[in-house]
Amino acid sequence: MYSLLIFAALVSLFPFYWMFVMATQPNHVINQTPPALLPGKELVTNFQNVLANIDFFGAMWNSFVVSTAVTVGSLFLCSLAGFAFAKLKFKGKNVLFVLILVTMMIPPQLGLIPTYYIITKLGWLSDLRAIIVPGLINAFGIFWMRQYIKEAIPDELIEAARIDGCSTFRIYWNIVTPAILPAFATLGIIVFMNVWNDFLWPLVVLQDQSTHTLQVALRALNDSYSRDYGMILSGTFWATVPLIIVFLLFNKAFISSLTQGAVKS
Amino acid sequence: MLPKPETSPTTNIRKKKMSQSVKDNITGYIFVSPFFILFSIFGLFPMIFSFYLAFFKWNGLGPMTFAGLDNFRIIFADALFWKSIYNTVMIGLLGTVPQLIVAFLLAYALNSQVVKFRNTFRVAIFMPYVTSIVAVAILFSIVFNNQSFGLVNSIIGLFGYDPIVFTQSEWGAKIAIASMIFWRWIGYNTIIYLAGMQSISNELYEAAKMDGANLFQQLRYITIPVLKPFILFTVFMGTIGSLQVFTEPLIFFNGNLRPEGITVVAYLYRDAFESNFFGTASATAIVLFVLIMIFSLINLLFTNRVGRSKKRGASA
Amino acid sequence: MKKWWKQAAVGVGLMTMLAGCSDGESASTPKDGKVVLDMWVFGTTGYDELAKAYMEENPDVQIKVQSTEMGDHHNNLFTALSAGKGAPDIAMIEVGEIERYRDAKDRFTNLNDLGAKDLQANYLDWVWNVGSSSDGEFVYGLPTDIGPTAMYYRKDVVEAAGYPTDPAELASTLATWADYTKFAEEVKAKTGKPVVDNAELIFNAKRDQASEHYFNRDNELIVEENAEIRAAYDYTAELIQKGTVGNMPLWTPEWGQGMADGSYATLLGPAWMQGVVKGNAPDAAGNWLVTTMPEGAGNWGGSYLTIPKESEYSEEAYEFISWLLTPDNQLNSFKDMGLFPSTPETYEKEEFKSYTDEYFGGINTAQVFADAAAQVVDVYKGKNYLLVQGEIMMALDNVLNSGGDPDKEWNDAMDRIKQRLERE
Repeated sequence: MYSLLIFAALVSLFPFYWMFVMATQPNHVINQTPPALLPGKELVTNFQNVLANIDFFGAMWNSFVVSTAVTVGSLFLCSLAGFAFAKLKFKGKNVLFVLILVTMMIPPQLGLIPTYYIITKLGWLSDLRAIIVPGLINAFGIFWMRQYIKEAIPDELIEAARIDGCSTFRIYWNIVTPAILPAFATLGIIVFMNVWNDFLWPLVVLQDQSTHTLQVALRALNDSYSRDYGMILSGTFWATVPLIIVFLLFNKAFISSLTQGAVKS
Repeated sequence: MLPKPETSPTTNIRKKKMSQSVKDNITGYIFVSPFFILFSIFGLFPMIFSFYLAFFKWNGLGPMTFAGLDNFRIIFADALFWKSIYNTVMIGLLGTVPQLIVAFLLAYALNSQVVKFRNTFRVAIFMPYVTSIVAVAILFSIVFNNQSFGLVNSIIGLFGYDPIVFTQSEWGAKIAIASMIFWRWIGYNTIIYLAGMQSISNELYEAAKMDGANLFQQLRYITIPVLKPFILFTVFMGTIGSLQVFTEPLIFFNGNLRPEGITVVAYLYRDAFESNFFGTASATAIVLFVLIMIFSLINLLFTNRVGRSKKRGASA
Repeated sequence: MKKWWKQAAVGVGLMTMLAGCSDGESASTPKDGKVVLDMWVFGTTGYDELAKAYMEENPDVQIKVQSTEMGDHHNNLFTALSAGKGAPDIAMIEVGEIERYRDAKDRFTNLNDLGAKDLQANYLDWVWNVGSSSDGEFVYGLPTDIGPTAMYYRKDVVEAAGYPTDPAELASTLATWADYTKFAEEVKAKTGKPVVDNAELIFNAKRDQASEHYFNRDNELIVEENAEIRAAYDYTAELIQKGTVGNMPLWTPEWGQGMADGSYATLLGPAWMQGVVKGNAPDAAGNWLVTTMPEGAGNWGGSYLTIPKESEYSEEAYEFISWLLTPDNQLNSFKDMGLFPSTPETYEKEEFKSYTDEYFGGINTAQVFADAAAQVVDVYKGKNYLLVQGEIMMALDNVLNSGGDPDKEWNDAMDRIKQRLERE
């Protein structure tokens, strides 16, 4: 079991380590074959080059705002809808749910131009709302929350709360949300990382440099005719570090809420 | 004055239930409406637009001209289109099936109480999901390099074989792309399985152990049944995800998509954003949409049957 | 748990606050009567510095220069132009990309209407023509820099092959492509190295000397009947089959490493490749030299500055770009950023004539490329140029890596091209 885990961990970690190695090397070393496996001396220089080229911390702040907003917003909307689909009885529920599943099946690449058109109509070009608001649509999140709430919350509990006179929203807020914290942690990590790493859409709508998210800003490091991979990977590496921190933070919340649940049951 | 007849407790409850169902209806709609409102603005309109486009020729800038079913005729007559479907399915199978099995094993190992440093391992295994696609691209271009110094080719070379030109090898290209998918998503699926496994209380296993169930039986009668929704979920998402694979082949071919590894979405992307043939690209998107529906249905039918037979097996 | 929700609430509050704040900063609103020009460029142009100089002279104009990665830049511009909103006042378009806008005259300001006709004489004819419609009536953009091609070569490899290493001597020894074939065989026999890094550059070099390429000026596909293109293809295939073409695709690590190690004898590249060579092979100073390539030159790269139709300040924008691209300022861009001028007048300037580059053996590389610029053939490319190019490259790749038969691969490529063009 250990050998499996150690092997998997090494394979998983290596590219990350290697990104760090390349972030410490001058460009011509990166081209070398076989590639360098030990860190070089350019760690500071490469990052200074990044800072000279882009507003790294400004972009990081934008990324943070966008990712947090989308994460919090979609956790709320997804759990609310997931709860409705899992526990409430309303007409057309199944049809609506299937519809949500169907929306996951649409290849998103083609929607670029019409969606851009809508954003221009809303006047949201170079505005973080252009990322946040469409980002709240998360069919996958609703699906995930519905499955989780269905399994995690017994119907009797809801019935009991109703008899006590709780409104449906109160039931959601006071009973459902505390019980699905692990699902929040998991979905939250997934959403946060996806938004943080996304560049296809932000690239198109965030035209003004002051609104760039990290991934958009990092792409500006790719010069058209020559590439300084040391600098690019330095930017990429430091852009990933906050993600790891977020993961570690949520990871703990994830575990403690799980053990809590176990103690209770 | 006649005394007011006391309402019987039964009618009272019924009334309450009636109003409750009305309330349920309303709150149900309110709770799901944010999604549908947002979706109709940012999802439905673009979708209808591309459906409409499939029947026109359009280069993104000029006027649209009606083409009837011509876009469909063109792509159906294109051998590369069929090849791209075949590639997508093959890459999907290669990238997903082994991945889910390994993810299950990893999650099982991570869930085991005997293993130390579980948290460290969990973080490590999740790392690929966090790593930027730029780093993945550069890394894999070295692992699967066409030259003899590429990592895989060096290993092959040790056994005295000639280096493989991965970008032009029928299976080499597919395996390379599939392994990118494998690597990037394994941590994600492991975490999902782990979340499922941690919802199973230890007492259940203890009880099973006392009943003399071996490891395999525990897996089969406790872990897998509880994990069924999670497995369904990953299979479902894996199917949809692999039918939409796009970034990996684009990276692998460095933009010059070749028939050995072009996927449907990459095919669509090339038409739309390299050549600005939005008509055929939209037609491809519709075909892909239908394909995803079919695969999802097969998926559902298959998993439902598996679930049912298992239940029958368990009750027998 | 409570803490968690508190943090989340703070996050939501923050985002609404911020979203509200960023509202005011919408682009190109005149501030205190100033005209604000948004300008999109890619790569390192140094135009922001020149813009500062311009703003000092013209205090009522404010120019916001924004640089994006080349591919992203063009995709964003296309999306904005397609949706009809969001394009800047001035947009830089690369020479290969300008082809896709041939039919989209309604999205651009005709610079002839703003007086571009008067400037035409300043620029090289072929450069000017690429930025205009076939009849010359509509001018999409003013040329910025160009990328005339020449032959970079490794002194050590050429020497080992028994050829002269002096630029002029080598050029006269390799005056024709037949000479180059012989040279390729010698290089292979004496050093075991390929003569060229990959099939693409040798094909492009010969292709660029043809008077017509894949489409004629009526935009009809002529590649199949075009003997010159077929000759370029056959020549490349022949060199491949002789084992003298390398397998180091552009921009890959092995390509860069090959530059440093001298894994190939020649690199048939444009003026801006000088920076790439220096970057990839910092230790090879003096080992790389430049001279003219056999039978003429081609062009790879360079851009145009256009004014999208939706700009409200097309006249102010035109004022600025016509100033930015004068021969004097092109000399500045050349000195600062290595952008090769599209104005032949610049080539006559003293600073240009006395230019030398220590890295490239102390020769006047600028003169080599200026001579090349004069030899470039004026050719029409057409909006589906890259599609055709891609399929021919795939054919050559198959010959190079999978031992494909050149004739069969050519025919397959022609079939694929026709199949894809049906979608238009």
